[in-house]
Amino acid sequence: MASISLSKSEKSYIQTSLLSTPPLRGDGRSLLDYRTIALETGIAPLANGSARLNIGKPTHEGGGGTEVLGAVKLEVEDVENGDGVDGGRIVCSVSCSPAAYPHLSSNALDDLSYDMTTLLNQTLSHPSLHPPNLCILPKKKSWCLNLDVIVLSDSGNVYDALFMAARAALWDTKVPITRAVEYQAKRGGKNPQENTDVDMDTETEQQSGFDTRHISRAVDFELPDYWDEGETLAGQDLWPVCVTLNIMPPTYYLDATPQEEASTPLRLLLAMSFPKSASSRLQATRLLGPGEIELSQIKRLIQEGEKHGRELYSALEAKLREEDVRRNQKARDKFVLR
Amino acid sequence: MVRQMVVESVYCKILNDGGFRSDGRRQYELRDINIDLGQQGSADGSASVSHGLTQVLVSVFGPREAKMRSQTIHDRANINVEVAVAPFSTGERRRRGRGDKRILEFASTIKSTFEPVIQTALYPRSQIDIFVQILQQDGGVLQACINATTLALASAGIPLLDFVCAVTGGVHSTSPLLDLTTLEENDVPHVTVAVMPRTGKVTLVTMETRLHVDRFEDIFRVGCEAGKVIHKEMRAAVKERTRSVGSGGGPDVGDRDVVMEERMEDY
Repeated sequence: MASISLSKSEKSYIQTSLLSTPPLRGDGRSLLDYRTIALETGIAPLANGSARLNIGKPTHEGGGGTEVLGAVKLEVEDVENGDGVDGGRIVCSVSCSPAAYPHLSSNALDDLSYDMTTLLNQTLSHPSLHPPNLCILPKKKSWCLNLDVIVLSDSGNVYDALFMAARAALWDTKVPITRAVEYQAKRGGKNPQENTDVDMDTETEQQSGFDTRHISRAVDFELPDYWDEGETLAGQDLWPVCVTLNIMPPTYYLDATPQEEASTPLRLLLAMSFPKSASSRLQATRLLGPGEIELSQIKRLIQEGEKHGRELYSALEAKLREEDVRRNQKARDKFVLR
Repeated sequence: MVRQMVVESVYCKILNDGGFRSDGRRQYELRDINIDLGQQGSADGSASVSHGLTQVLVSVFGPREAKMRSQTIHDRANINVEVAVAPFSTGERRRRGRGDKRILEFASTIKSTFEPVIQTALYPRSQIDIFVQILQQDGGVLQACINATTLALASAGIPLLDFVCAVTGGVHSTSPLLDLTTLEENDVPHVTVAVMPRTGKVTLVTMETRLHVDRFEDIFRVGCEAGKVIHKEMRAAVKERTRSVGSGGGPDVGDRDVVMEERMEDY
């Protein structure tokens, strides 16, 4: 992780304060307090779903805080001839703005972007999270979901921000509704070259009554309503949230500032998913930093992390629902009142 | 949005008989300008400018010690411009790496626009970094980048000879148009002009389409005039920002004092 450089005495100062009784942090928070998180969805109207998230932006001064922008764009892919996978696929990418890491060279910035991309991609494109409505025509055409995340500024705890922005953007995504279309040659000899569009549902008389196979002859699709944004992406409750536990033996703390991150040798990232109908799942873990920890501690930390993850998850979900209401219902009400 | 082959029975006119364009503007009307000079991250100066639906964010760092000693110049500051385009900024998703030729050309255009304007002789052997992030594209991206860069440099306190105000202009069969959207840029030959409003000097004229020489003079003059109009908006925004920063954070400071007093009374 790209951390700013601190002197040894400053690091020792921060570590001693965190381990003291009561634990002290630079901005007066407790060990388990998060900074204020601001979230807005629908910030990129050209995208199918988007969100902008900011952790720790002080309200009266403006500026600062970890700011992350995420957007989802859907592309149609050909399964037979192109890169498409039957049932659709998810591709994530993270790009760090040089304004977020002004002290890094462009190569180091690329490396950092690549690390974050790998983490996000491997976690979110896992089959257990795959949404079922990314297929257009089975074995012919499917959606490719491109999730692009941009880190605009980093003031600590960027991994939590990445996953929250990804979850918010995916929550906000609407998949256009498609209808399969089949071409059929016009029967009755006169103009054998003409083709007409026929809906999938109509039966053709050439099929034999004994033939019980249902072979789809759909070759293309259409949008029944061009202006409809579509249905929401399925699996909204599956997308994971990430909790970063900064490990300072014998305790840990959450939501570190850049100075605290530079003073903590070890961090545990936990990406957890809390589906409604099943028990919570751990989707990804990472141990970052040069420090070390005993194996027996990991289990305890994962359990503690799950508690915090659940709180974060329910808070995020409440906000996302509120955003849905603000953008759809309230906007409609305002429009009616005009 | 998926592009379908839907045959439209009505095609979009660039300029209809009533004198209105496809988005309802008049011939010489500029799009809504929105300027936000609030601080972004740890940047020395930053500006977020949107012309209609085109949105651009510029952060400026400097003057500071150069990252690479080899790039320092002994008597001036080195200006480094880096441009990043968000993949979701256009209708079709397109991911352009930082080394993309178009992007490098774009960055060097911005750099050569500002080299005569920034007083680099005041900061020898240092570096001024300009980071441009394009968030949404709907035509006039270069104009938005230049305007945002001017504001970000002013917000960072870097001495400039003058503002640089840019605007795009196009000609639709003898009628000049200003501030083009993507739809218009695809159809109509267009030129981007950047002027310094006080002196009227021009620091950038760029055109990639073919335009008849007779038409060029009209659109060039109109573009310079439009630059002065944008200058007024930019000056108002900078004044507002200076006022709010100068009065120590604005009205919220007063609130904070009130809260403190209440708390002290509790004790």
